[in-house]
Amino acid sequence: MLSFSDQLAAWRRVIFALLLRELQSKFNDKLGLGWAFFEPFLFIFALSFARSFISGSEVHSMPILIFMMVGMVAIQSFMASLGAVAGSIKKNKPLYAFRQVQPIAAFVTSLFLECAIKLGAISLLSLTIYLLQIDVQFENPLLLISLYALMWTFLGSVGLLFGIITSYVPEINKIKNLFTRPMFFISCVFFSLQDVPEKYWPYLNWNPMVHFIELSRYALYPSYGHNGVSIEYAASITILILFFSLALYHHTWKRVLSR
Amino acid sequence: MIEIRNLTKSYPSKLGPQYIFKNLNFTFPTERNVAILGKNGAGKSTLFRLLAKSEYPDRGQILTNRAMSWPVALQTGIHPHMTGRENTRFIGRINNVRSLKNYEHRVQKFAELEKKFDLPVRNYSSGMRAKLVFACCMNIDFDIYLIDEATSVGDPLFRKKAKETLKEKSKTSGVIMVSHELDQVREYCSSVVLIEDGKLTYYEDLEEGISVYTNQPKKEKGK
Repeated sequence: MLSFSDQLAAWRRVIFALLLRELQSKFNDKLGLGWAFFEPFLFIFALSFARSFISGSEVHSMPILIFMMVGMVAIQSFMASLGAVAGSIKKNKPLYAFRQVQPIAAFVTSLFLECAIKLGAISLLSLTIYLLQIDVQFENPLLLISLYALMWTFLGSVGLLFGIITSYVPEINKIKNLFTRPMFFISCVFFSLQDVPEKYWPYLNWNPMVHFIELSRYALYPSYGHNGVSIEYAASITILILFFSLALYHHTWKRVLSR
Repeated sequence: MIEIRNLTKSYPSKLGPQYIFKNLNFTFPTERNVAILGKNGAGKSTLFRLLAKSEYPDRGQILTNRAMSWPVALQTGIHPHMTGRENTRFIGRINNVRSLKNYEHRVQKFAELEKKFDLPVRNYSSGMRAKLVFACCMNIDFDIYLIDEATSVGDPLFRKKAKETLKEKSKTSGVIMVSHELDQVREYCSSVVLIEDGKLTYYEDLEEGISVYTNQPKKEKGK
């Protein structure tokens, strides 16, 4: 029997190999790895900047540029988790011929990569803000960091769930856009939950992304407030979905191999 | 020795589950090189993938204490956008090769790719790809090599080399092979597992197995 540390080392080896493979195969063109970070950065920055240019400087005591950036980073991460992370299970299918490579390894690799890319984009955004000498408040970094980690746990679970379901029902991929597009508009990316009359909140705040986005803004600017959102809700949904996705994976992974 | 215990394997389909094997019990020795023969769709490749643990049975077990290679088919694990070297290193890493540098070097030499080793695999011909995959597998020590027609594409010189290597390896390890080309089977193997209607039969004598497979009387040795 293999000891636990041996198994851990084997997992690390496989995931490291997959990560290198992903980097080598994805970014071996002339734009290279830098583009992976630069593209989301450029997209987020351009959109946020355009928005702040059009509609004034502040929403609820928060500069609109920062307001938009928080929302965009979160929603871009959401898109990545449903796209690349969920797709990784199917994409790496030829590699499952090696018995060392299991679907979860491909999934973890992709999750790690996407999370790192978004972190890179965030660093670039922060650097830009610093260089442009835009005034920014950074009140509660601890809350922000834990929200980021929690959000990626949530996104990973959703991605895993979707990845497994798609390998059973490939049609999901076709109608996925139908679900993800509206997420852009109902996740409070472009507006704040405070702008919506309170009686409509139940239609919006079932969505954990609303909680992640609004709370992140609150972590930066406490004066922004956190009405209608709570970290307890976001955390409990995350734990629930994490449990379900892992249970589903545990139950189905051997069958996913032969699909 | 490989022991198959109460194995059931099916694939889902529109017409309900398609059973490839149902409650199969079978044992066959692996000391000698084994060829798996059977008609198209009989389940050769399935059995092969089950042996390699690339897939798992619905029920039942496959028991063995030998280290198996991955099923070496034409393209397994090769990414067309990566160079031969990168692909080799990937396979080496996955299989926990002790010295990647050493391994890389041996594969390059064995596959006779020379400078092209550093070009993306999409620029390779299919023969070169097969050579690369074969070289990657042969340079890792396994107890049993699972080979799926991978040797059939190489040129005669490479096939000769592959045969010699396999012969060299067969002192310490076995080969299980899937092929339709009987010439090839005769070249590499010395016993046969025949799959028919989800049942397996082991023939210790190669020619006997082949004659059952082709429905022709056994050829005399030394023709």
